[in-house]
Amino acid sequence: MRKLSVLASIVLFLAVLITFWAAQRGPKPVELIPTLTGKPEYCLTCHADLPEISPAHPINAFGCIICHGGEPLALEADLAHSTMRGGRNPSDLVVVEASCGGTDCHSGPLEDQRDHIHRILTSVQSTYAGAIANIRYTFGAQPDLIARLGISAVQDDLIVTSTGIPSLAAFDPTQETSAAVQSFGGNCLNCHLSAKPGEDSAYARLAGCAACHTPTAGTNLESPIHQLTTSIPYTQCNTCHNRGNYDLRSLTFVPRQDTPTSRFEAYYQPIAQFVRCEWTLDCIDCHTRTEAMGDGDIHSSKKEIQYIQCRTCHGTIEELPQIQRVSGLDDLAIRLAFLNRNATETWNLKSGDIILVARQGEPLWNTRLLPDGSYELFGKATGQIFPFRPVKGSSCQQKADEQGSQFCHACHQEKR
Amino acid sequence: MEPPNSAISRRSFLNLSWKALLGLSGLLGLGGLLQYLGYQTEPSPPTKFNLGDISNYPPGSRIIVPEAQAIVQNDSQALWALSLVCPHLGCTIEPVEDGFACPCHGSKFYLNGAVRTGPANKPMTEQRLEETADGKLILHTD
Repeated sequence: MRKLSVLASIVLFLAVLITFWAAQRGPKPVELIPTLTGKPEYCLTCHADLPEISPAHPINAFGCIICHGGEPLALEADLAHSTMRGGRNPSDLVVVEASCGGTDCHSGPLEDQRDHIHRILTSVQSTYAGAIANIRYTFGAQPDLIARLGISAVQDDLIVTSTGIPSLAAFDPTQETSAAVQSFGGNCLNCHLSAKPGEDSAYARLAGCAACHTPTAGTNLESPIHQLTTSIPYTQCNTCHNRGNYDLRSLTFVPRQDTPTSRFEAYYQPIAQFVRCEWTLDCIDCHTRTEAMGDGDIHSSKKEIQYIQCRTCHGTIEELPQIQRVSGLDDLAIRLAFLNRNATETWNLKSGDIILVARQGEPLWNTRLLPDGSYELFGKATGQIFPFRPVKGSSCQQKADEQGSQFCHACHQEKR
Repeated sequence: MEPPNSAISRRSFLNLSWKALLGLSGLLGLGGLLQYLGYQTEPSPPTKFNLGDISNYPPGSRIIVPEAQAIVQNDSQALWALSLVCPHLGCTIEPVEDGFACPCHGSKFYLNGAVRTGPANKPMTEQRLEETADGKLILHTD
């Protein structure tokens, strides 16, 4: 009996000692109370070395939990991370509404142009509806090219364009009768915002919003960059685009085998023609937020949402490009320019400036009409200023009925 | 051969060890309990700030009180304070020549705190100022 008591006291002593030691060994919490939530969180205890993600999301205002989720007061890593949304990427489209939504954030009203999440969930970049519809139509699974299926089911209650459709059901390749469509489903669904990227670092990108807004191209995704930016370089676009082509005979993706050594070679499509501005500018210098993120409608093809052409900036032989005057501080052009930190000092867009405008009325805030009738363009990713001129009044012999970009390319393409 | 005589018997040694371990366990437990009972949370941020002599805020002045995230303005007719926490998403608003601007999302406010351009849709929060009998200015942020 006495031996048992001694043994029990040894066990008790060791248990108390270990508990005491473990309690002393833990990190001293570093508290942050973000102004937005007013609730303490201890994430900085371990993550103080992370850079602020963007000037629009300062840590003192937002903290970490409101975007990432997680257990705010936990000091043990597994517990702290156990309820995080989307793992390391809260912008994953599965959780984006909880992470980035809210009427004051990215689920704002359509009329205020702050409906970013709705736009991206309905855009062809996330639905992949055009490719699915094309393949299903080609192999007889549907009678026309109007999209019926997308990567995920999605609905749009407010159609604003003539080509918008009300909803898509989720594409399930196992429900398809055509072997070709099944093969497409197995091999080709790797080019949308929720897709897992390829293994090579050239494909390195995250999913959801971060696929574009977190520059990861050429990096190791094991340690993703804590950054959100609207200054998206072409290399980030190329983590999806210009990586190869789909082989429609085998319905597989065939990666490019060459290693581009120049910016010009980074464009892939072997038979395509490229003019200088297409490879000296970054993709986002011409392609707008609406083209990239959608207009809020569900479309059957990217062609329905892709509208920037050479003439948008250069006009035609008979017409100058469409322009509009920046109307005031609340003008969308000023708001968009504000979000690009490169533009704050270098570009300095002001109320009263005259800018170019796309056919749909979208302001091209990174352009400006100069007093001499020429124009300049601000490189959104590089901060460079590029001067350019209209076609009208030049020596161009373009015919009036040949105004499409392909006719510009025919004369102005760069030799490959 | 017999074992050498020990000054303490085996029974006494075990007895002593048992009591010593129990005592140490008790002390460690007590230490833990005291640490638990003595735990102090971070103090709540203050809501009352002594801003010094009221004469330090002459007509035309706009003086930031960083520790209170507020600004005291004297527009020649009255002395009043505004919170610099943006009513949109809580960033710190900066004073500019003709009012205020939020560096995060671009909201702009007039000098009186009213919204000039969004995304903020509420005015800046006015805060209470109090003058003491001895001429000190007190800012209340609650």
